[in-house]
Amino acid sequence: MSVVDRAAAAAGVPTGFYTLVKREVLRYVRRPKNTFIPPFITNVLYFSVFGVILGDRVGTIIGVPYILFILPGLVVLGAVSNAFENGSFSIFHGRWNEYIDETLTSPLSYTQMVWAYLLASALRGVLVGTLIAVLGFGIISGLYQPVPVEQPLYLVAFILVISLLFASLGIVGGLLAEDFDDLTMMNQFLLRPLVFFGAVFYSLGDLPPLLQDISLLNPMVYMVNGVRYGFLGVAEVDPQFSLAVLTAGTVAVTLGNVWLFKRGYGLTD
Amino acid sequence: MSQPPALDIENLRKEYNDVTALDGVSLTVPEGSFFGLLGPNGAGKTTFINILVGLVRKSGGTARVFGHDVEDDYRETRNAIGLAPQEFNVDRFFPIREVLEHKAGYHGVPASEAADRADEVLKQVGIYDKRDTRFDWLSGGMKRRFLLARALITDPDLLILDEPTAGVDVQLRRDLWELVTKLNDQGKTILLTTHYIEEAERLCDEVAILDSGQVRTVATPAELKDRGTDRIVVELRSPPTTLPDLLADDERVEAVDLDGHQLTVTARKGGLVAPQLVRELDREGIEIVDLEITRTSLEEIFVEMTSSDETGNAGDGDDAADSDDDTEDDDRSRHEQQVAPDGGQQ
Repeated sequence: MSVVDRAAAAAGVPTGFYTLVKREVLRYVRRPKNTFIPPFITNVLYFSVFGVILGDRVGTIIGVPYILFILPGLVVLGAVSNAFENGSFSIFHGRWNEYIDETLTSPLSYTQMVWAYLLASALRGVLVGTLIAVLGFGIISGLYQPVPVEQPLYLVAFILVISLLFASLGIVGGLLAEDFDDLTMMNQFLLRPLVFFGAVFYSLGDLPPLLQDISLLNPMVYMVNGVRYGFLGVAEVDPQFSLAVLTAGTVAVTLGNVWLFKRGYGLTD
Repeated sequence: MSQPPALDIENLRKEYNDVTALDGVSLTVPEGSFFGLLGPNGAGKTTFINILVGLVRKSGGTARVFGHDVEDDYRETRNAIGLAPQEFNVDRFFPIREVLEHKAGYHGVPASEAADRADEVLKQVGIYDKRDTRFDWLSGGMKRRFLLARALITDPDLLILDEPTAGVDVQLRRDLWELVTKLNDQGKTILLTTHYIEEAERLCDEVAILDSGQVRTVATPAELKDRGTDRIVVELRSPPTTLPDLLADDERVEAVDLDGHQLTVTARKGGLVAPQLVRELDREGIEIVDLEITRTSLEEIFVEMTSSDETGNAGDGDDAADSDDDTEDDDRSRHEQQVAPDGGQQ
């Protein structure tokens, strides 16, 4: 029995719920080649090519070096894509191989099931986001300037909320998908365009007014903006409003997931 | 107040669009019994079981496990059941010992106790030395043993075995029989579905025959066999020129035929009819050389009860709802596909 097991038991966390969270976390923690090393390498490339090589030509945006400007967006990109991927994969792979039956035939409540998958997936998002932040800190501090964290509470709150939101969306995706191709489609055709048009690599102010207005329909803009506010202390959209909207979205999607589990959508015949 | 039965099923229905998989099943399984559910492929056996554990949603009727409704009290119901399914629906990311620990944990067993229990059930089913192996690397027989171990890890009051000996060798089949008999002797209620009539005859106190989603009958194996017809074959030293009117008043007798030296009487309860036949032959002065009674097998009764509706709707819903016979092949082919798209790596 590990220290974490003992702490969870002492804290009164229900054993069934805790065990499912543990199982889900162990699944990806034990496979760093598939879960943590790929985003690490990808972000080394992003920082090198976009931040250093091209960034030096771009100069500064909103008064900071380009590499520092893109850091919050890359943290968001890593966090949300990993949270989403984990949630959707965990549910869909379990359905495909039918081992999700081990959970479904257990006396866990539907709410416990959803929250277990949700927390484990969100944690992966937070871990990858942190990994990218630490990587960025190292590169930017070494080559340019110290990285500020002007609003640490906002930073933590945004990372948590966006990871939870996308983990929850991932669970929806895992329930709706009927094939692995569906998961790929969700990632490539939905998530990625939202991220790339979510002001990760550019400032909203650089866009014509019409495109600025259209961009405000993209939830990613609020997420990137919020995390950027956490780091740099400047925001193009009110961070409190963004946080409230994202939190409401997370609650709504999660309640939807509990309802889908109760109905057995994608899980039972 | 008396204890509720292990299973109390009333008018249970399951429809898949226009296909009826279960058509008003009513059953009571007493606590502590060893109950068999027999039926041809696609009769609805697996659908029935999956409704109990929450993998299939019922369309109508009620199903209670030890008094708990399978939908309203789903947590209590699922906690009471240990299921060894036909399908190899096992978590393949972890060694089998850890899979068992997780399953125990989901049922509220603390981590330290779960580890001890995992070792215990792995020893019980004889695959303890494979505890650090992942499911995919076990042989077919070991996989079946593991499914039983997983069903036992939560110490369920109701153990459901869905075709537990399908495709296993004779030795393993006997080992499993011995183990489940012992578990039943210890007080566990056991619900067994099987294609092997011999298995049901040997193990079960009572069996239900399910066909086309309906219960045809519920009886003990002995009662079922009594419903069949036996054959009494008598070898005569010198056959009479005309056959006397033997056993004329016996309602159990269905036919009396003479073919050369061989007299064949077809009757229910052949063992009871035979002495009367011998007395009447003796009275007629007909000498007997040999006599043999061939009892109806449970298998013949089963075939008789489930083949009457073959041209009707016996196949309804089979492909969509149950497909018992195809499950293993499906599982195998699906598994091959499963590995390909992503390798289970993400």
